[in-house]
Amino acid sequence: MTFLRREDKQEKYTTATGSPIYAPKDRNPHILELKDNSRQQVLLNEINASRVTQEEKLFLAAAAQRHTVFNYELIADYYAHATPEMQRLMEASALVIIDIDQAIERGYVRLCRAVRDLHMEEVAKDA
Amino acid sequence: MRNFAAFILTHGRPDNVITFGKLRALGYSGPIYLIVDNEDATIDRYFANFGSKTVIVFDKKAMADKCDEANNFDDQNVVVHARNASFDIAETLGLTHFVQLDDDYFLFMTRDDVRGRTIRNLDTAFAVTCDFLDVSGAASVAWSQGGDHIGGFSGVRLKRKAMNTFFCRVDRRFWFLGTVNEDVNTYVCEGQRGRLFFTFTGLQIDQKETQSQAGGLTDIYLQRGTYVKSFTSVLFCPSSVRVAMMTSKHRRLHHLIDWGAAVPCIVPECVQKKSC
Repeated sequence: MTFLRREDKQEKYTTATGSPIYAPKDRNPHILELKDNSRQQVLLNEINASRVTQEEKLFLAAAAQRHTVFNYELIADYYAHATPEMQRLMEASALVIIDIDQAIERGYVRLCRAVRDLHMEEVAKDA
Repeated sequence: MRNFAAFILTHGRPDNVITFGKLRALGYSGPIYLIVDNEDATIDRYFANFGSKTVIVFDKKAMADKCDEANNFDDQNVVVHARNASFDIAETLGLTHFVQLDDDYFLFMTRDDVRGRTIRNLDTAFAVTCDFLDVSGAASVAWSQGGDHIGGFSGVRLKRKAMNTFFCRVDRRFWFLGTVNEDVNTYVCEGQRGRLFFTFTGLQIDQKETQSQAGGLTDIYLQRGTYVKSFTSVLFCPSSVRVAMMTSKHRRLHHLIDWGAAVPCIVPECVQKKSC
């Protein structure tokens, strides 16, 4: 059972196998890499070229933002290199989630151990 | 102190609530409540079979008026209203934690990378799941399903989604969205705003194959097809969800989530500048 095996690939940060914690990479991506708004741009061009009212254009432009594709791994990489002020704003906008006091990581490890024990109990009963 | 109960959300199957018997057979000793809506034609049969202390009836229309159904089909035989009503019911019962279960689970098991083992100590399995719910700050934690294990262990033991077995806390209420695919709509929509939903693949339930049982949501899927079901999630999150063909035993349309674009990453606290 590999519930608790440590990963070898991670260099900077280490997480338990299967953990949802993302280890940011050393490379600091350019901020323009963090989102793909090509679909949004297509929609905006159509909206601007249309003859709907200005109010309708504003509404549709706001709706078009829903098509912006965020790359959350690159966003986490960017966060790791950002200034403290930028980090606070990114946290407020839920662009990353901070695992305070390793609560998720440690809770996950405890859950794995408990379930492994349950599993082994059942294996022993069947032996 | 934790006050926990298991809710079985059921509709039109008073003689076939498989989950109830399985819970007791596999060592769950806590309270079980059947959550039934007031429009269920078989409601008397539920009371006859399980008793008035076990069956809890909620007002479906009142709940429908409160939540975002995401369409104007006015479908009433859907589970979303029971899911949302569960939080109110749990609060009324004085619970702190509860789990929402479907009525057709025939297997509860632990699972390693290779195989599963039937759990005969569900009390402990439920307790450790609630422990993780508490410390992780998640809105909900779920167990995996058979489909999560097709192709073997993926290397991801904790997935950022939640389906079927929703372990919840009354003080972390969230609203399920849409009359169909309400689980996907909810964990993607709420997830992209920073709320956490987890599925732990070391624990698993198994249920009757989708669209094989009469009653419940099966009728809706057969009536409208799975395109409407899947596309509802696209409406909620067009930047990260699309409709694709699922090639299992029976080919059908299904939602496909681009997880890299769906939910923000969880990063270690040491990445935060003030704490380094």
